[in-house]
Amino acid sequence: MGPQLSWYLALSAVLFTIGAVGVIVKRNVIAMFMCIELMLNAVNLSFVAFSSFFQDVTGQLFVFIVMTVAAAEAAVGLGIIITIFRNRESLDVDDANILKL
Amino acid sequence: MAWDNQYIHALVLIIAITVAFLTIMLLVAATVLAERRVLALIQGRLGPNRVGFGGVLQPFADFIKTMMKEDLVPDQSTRFVFLLAPMIAVITAIMAIIVYPFGPTITLPFLGTFPLRIAQFDVALLYVLGVTSVGVYGIALAGWSSNNKYSLMGGLRSSAQMISYELALGLSLIGVILLCGTLDIYRIVEQQSGWYGLHWNIIYQPLGFILYLIAAIAETNRVPFDLPEAETELVAGFHTEYSSIKFLLFFNAEYINMITVSMLATTLFLGGWNGPGVAQFPLLGVFYFFAKIVFFLFLYIWLRGTLPRFRFDQLMDFGWKFLLPAAILNIVLTATFLYLFT
Amino acid sequence: MAIGCAIAMVSQSNPLYSAISLIGVFISLASIYVTLAAPFIAAVQVIVYAGAIMVLVIFVIMLLNVEHSEPRRKRLKFLVPMAIGMAAILLAETVFILHSVQTTENRLPGNISDVGLTHSIGEGLFTRYLLPFELTSVLLLMAIVGAMSLARRTSTLSATARVVPGAQVLAMDIANPSGVQDLRPVETETTEEAAHLLGVDFQSDRSKQA
Repeated sequence: MGPQLSWYLALSAVLFTIGAVGVIVKRNVIAMFMCIELMLNAVNLSFVAFSSFFQDVTGQLFVFIVMTVAAAEAAVGLGIIITIFRNRESLDVDDANILKL
Repeated sequence: MAWDNQYIHALVLIIAITVAFLTIMLLVAATVLAERRVLALIQGRLGPNRVGFGGVLQPFADFIKTMMKEDLVPDQSTRFVFLLAPMIAVITAIMAIIVYPFGPTITLPFLGTFPLRIAQFDVALLYVLGVTSVGVYGIALAGWSSNNKYSLMGGLRSSAQMISYELALGLSLIGVILLCGTLDIYRIVEQQSGWYGLHWNIIYQPLGFILYLIAAIAETNRVPFDLPEAETELVAGFHTEYSSIKFLLFFNAEYINMITVSMLATTLFLGGWNGPGVAQFPLLGVFYFFAKIVFFLFLYIWLRGTLPRFRFDQLMDFGWKFLLPAAILNIVLTATFLYLFT
Repeated sequence: MAIGCAIAMVSQSNPLYSAISLIGVFISLASIYVTLAAPFIAAVQVIVYAGAIMVLVIFVIMLLNVEHSEPRRKRLKFLVPMAIGMAAILLAETVFILHSVQTTENRLPGNISDVGLTHSIGEGLFTRYLLPFELTSVLLLMAIVGAMSLARRTSTLSATARVVPGAQVLAMDIANPSGVQDLRPVETETTEEAAHLLGVDFQSDRSKQA
């Protein structure tokens, strides 16, 4: 009996949790951003697992769209990070606690 | 393979991978030598022709000399990345060769038939593009971990150039994919057989071929797009701090990249192992395949001897403002023609 | 291996090592996708995530030259234990759910499965799910425009810029970019003059500084 669906879902949950812990714990804004990408990937994994076990292509299509959205978000997010860095000279999210740029 | 035994299958795969690897290594050595001699002849002088008969042992002599050099490792905290970067460059360069068919299905007398390729899967072309994308890391990480401002700038420029031209590379291949309807390289080559060479994709995709060639030359950091490398000759570059084996790894990675993109060009545009007489003598297909690759390598060397290099901003302008729209235009034209005539 | 790389990513203090560990996570996830008979998604994952997004992240890390992060300030020290506690709760919930729900279909992904092939993905993408596809392309366009407008150099000379008279020399082609590369020197006397020459605004009111 090969790998079961619940194993893939468990892996996805563990990766998601690690990403969530990382977002809370990390202070560097780029590291926080990478933990968000990790969470997105964990969700992608569970989508693909479901799509494979139920032989439905919808899961993989949605993964494709999630990847595209993540790429777009990466571009804009990194642009924002660079702008914040230019104005504050610090990549610490605790320093970015006022709304004025 | 006619046999169904799992272990025989694995053994055949291991033999195939070893043979392909050795072939590529020999081809790299031959390319190094050929580059120096052909470049010399273009520039009006003789190249190295003393080692061995006509200089054929020159690459091995170079290899031994470089191995004996002192291996410098910088004394700083990024040592792991410093060691990792050339490995990434070489591993991703070599990983791309497993999807190319070296020849048609040949029949050995006792062993049955097998197609001359290592792996055949559905998304082979995307795999090649993916592996090329990961190869950018080798250069970016090398530039950063050398702890040297010039290396960092050279590495960043080189990786920016590579990711810009990856787009044009991928888009120029979409025309071929539209024509053949599959991403599987083995099937693309099979579809180009017959008709005395009139079915080769270059006839249907001339613009795509030229765009692909330009993007491939930029992707492998060769002249006329080799400003990040020319900085090595002039000031610095991403492999300044590397010596001995690690430098050899980068050097090899560049030539293997050249060979890989030449293989992609021959399989997708020039028909792979197709040629006159392949149906009767399948082993002739291997010869044709390598002949076409040698043609592309000669083209690379010829361009190196002839063209001046682009400045970096001209390079980026060219990639984004000319190649990308031209590739999209190629896709639109191909799709329109396919729709109108099918 | 995916979990190992993920934990390495979260625990590293140098963001470049975090980025490399994240690339490891992506590649191991791509191989998991291949075992789930989804080769197209695996290839796209390598190309898009490991090949493009992480290259961007590494560029940003290298450009901004970040090093190790400083020790945490006092009032935020409770975050680490709290995060680990929440993670434990989340994992416990997951284990509970997975044990209590009957996973009906325990079928393996079939070796000759039609689902993950490029053909079926393309078919679905262009027929049933055309609207999300088009919306995604509009989203990408928005992202491109947004990223470009963020990265444009702001056209104001920062209020902290000072021009020391006679000390800086600008090249003429900065002030007049239309001509050939003109390297004749231009001397300025005051900051306002330099700003005027560069064609940017100058906030002479220092109190407006953020």
